[in-house]
Amino acid sequence: MSQVQWGNLIDDLLDGSISEADFLRLEAQLRVDPTLRQRYYARLKLENGLRIESERLGGSSSELAIPFWRKHAIALGAGASIALLLIIGLSGWNVGRQAAQEAPLSVEPRAAGFAVLSEYSDAAWEDGVRLNRGDLLPQGPLKLRSGVAQLELFSGVTVILEGESAFEVHSPMEMTVAKGRIRALVPPAAKGFKVNTATGGVVDLGTEFSLDVTPEGSEMHVIEGEIEWHPNASNVRSLTDGQSLHWTVDGEFSSSGFASSDFPRLEDFERRFLGQRQARREAWEVASAEVASDPRVLAYFPMNSEELGRRQLADGSGSGFHGTIVSARKDADRWDESSSALNFSPAGSRVRVSIPGEHRSMTFYCWARIDSLDRMYNSLFLTDGHELHEPHWQIMSDGRLFFSVKKRESWPERPDKHITYSPSFWDPSMSGKWFQIATVYNVEAQTTTHYVNGKAIGRDFISDEFLVDTVRIGAASIGNWNEPTRNDSTFALRNLNGAIDEFAIFADALSSEEIAELYEKGRP
Amino acid sequence: MDSKDTDATIVSLLTQHQPAIHLYVESLLPGDRAAEDVAQETNAIIWEKRGDFKLGTNFKAWAFAIARFQVRKYRYKQATESRLVFCEELEEVIAEEMADTLEGISDHHMALQECLQKLKPADRELIYHRYFKKSPLSEYGQKIGRSVGGLKVTLHRVRNRLQVCIEKRLALQKGLRA
Repeated sequence: MSQVQWGNLIDDLLDGSISEADFLRLEAQLRVDPTLRQRYYARLKLENGLRIESERLGGSSSELAIPFWRKHAIALGAGASIALLLIIGLSGWNVGRQAAQEAPLSVEPRAAGFAVLSEYSDAAWEDGVRLNRGDLLPQGPLKLRSGVAQLELFSGVTVILEGESAFEVHSPMEMTVAKGRIRALVPPAAKGFKVNTATGGVVDLGTEFSLDVTPEGSEMHVIEGEIEWHPNASNVRSLTDGQSLHWTVDGEFSSSGFASSDFPRLEDFERRFLGQRQARREAWEVASAEVASDPRVLAYFPMNSEELGRRQLADGSGSGFHGTIVSARKDADRWDESSSALNFSPAGSRVRVSIPGEHRSMTFYCWARIDSLDRMYNSLFLTDGHELHEPHWQIMSDGRLFFSVKKRESWPERPDKHITYSPSFWDPSMSGKWFQIATVYNVEAQTTTHYVNGKAIGRDFISDEFLVDTVRIGAASIGNWNEPTRNDSTFALRNLNGAIDEFAIFADALSSEEIAELYEKGRP
Repeated sequence: MDSKDTDATIVSLLTQHQPAIHLYVESLLPGDRAAEDVAQETNAIIWEKRGDFKLGTNFKAWAFAIARFQVRKYRYKQATESRLVFCEELEEVIAEEMADTLEGISDHHMALQECLQKLKPADRELIYHRYFKKSPLSEYGQKIGRSVGGLKVTLHRVRNRLQVCIEKRLALQKGLRA
């Protein structure tokens, strides 16, 4: 039989259409012919890839942006919460696969929520909820134990809540307040915004008002405009500027006038939020100075320094490994302070650095804002080219972190390195948010651990075969990869579409407690 | 390491080895659509038995051992049916060799994505029908007025072309990385 004929039989075998006689013939040949077996393996890989790819492409020939890993990654790794991931774990896997087959066209990314936390000041939440500025508000009832939080609903309504309060946002146009004081600013586009309480509901007709809900009843003040009060068992009443109404649970009420100057203005809140943000930033500056003087730090780039010229990025560690900024432009940092971060989205953006020496364990650390992951590889930190004993740190298009140190030259069928991927931590609903990202390469423990926002999201063991205990960096880039392949456009673009405002390399393995502490101190 | 960390590690390893586990099972059950289910069961068993896995040892070897066991179990259940199965001896060899060829699957897949773009639209359409729709070739043949035999030959050629393209790309990548 010719090579072509054997090839046909392999295809028939994989199609499930092979005859018994041919099967026996092929089986006999496979037993004695290692080359044919290699062809069989190659064909299997192709077959498998084609199936996955067809599912991915769904019914249309257009390029739909769902990476092939996604359906595995989604089931196991969406979000950084390991607990969540264990719950949906394996059952979600099947569901994901079926969904990919049955509804291949509905691939528009989705996120759940009606509002974001736009500002806060000393805010403490009940039930272990932790929210950063810009986070989508989780659905369901929420309790603000203390402090002040400002929500921006997608309808345009701004709500300021003061702790202690309990509430739930049902839609961009409706919320319930079980307890506590809120202040709402409702633009004309959101006329009809409704706030439910135990004794009745406020319907807003375009205004600014305050509402205080206690176990005894509700008290509302209209600062500007007009609202309607819909009591549970009584007629609608309307209130305008400067009017207030106190309504008890028993349906008794009193109405009176007040001076709007008795109430703090929204600007007052804004000043308070800004003050808090600056205070948090100052607290970080103290922590940042500690990092800079940490003897384990190899190079440290807090990007707020104005010490050097426009194109030079100062190494805060005192080692003098200053970077050179190429193309990247100044951007606001994670506290919204302008010109204190670098945005790597302009084509060719990078910070060139050169760090000498050989190191054992290492920690790569940064705060990054990811706007999108539209490249196959999205760079955090990569050494030039792909040389022996050099690390590469990047994010895959599906939101998985990638870290590797090249162990040896590659040759056919032999990998040149061990790659540690984290589960996916990013999806487009997180666009524009800041993340603390760290990866620890621990030579002693033979592990690589990926961290996001102070928590380990994935850990992997490195066998002796791939462990590198003399890690070298040399010439490298932050936010991009140098010497991308010349003739392949898909691989050429690797700059991070986003910004970085703090970047550090340690010549040691930081503990998970240290990473968590850095996160707490650096949270915007 | 506490159990939460361990679980995170297993999840990470399991995710990372998904393509390999699927392929491995398929190599032992060629042309059998149940291979997918067997791979899923393997995942479930791996998760159930995660306590048995010693961190630091070879995850792939451990996972593949479970996969092989699941394949045998499936075979045993199917014994009454007259499916064509490789003899044990060959299966042994395949299991071993396949395990060695499963590095670099993601590179392989990325290369495939690019190679697919280079296919003629008609060929891509055929691939799509064969793999996505999973409709019998006869149905598609009728639709576009071609015989099943002819389509089979075309499919074979398209696969060959893709394979050559993938190999070239992988070689090119390796060259650039080296």
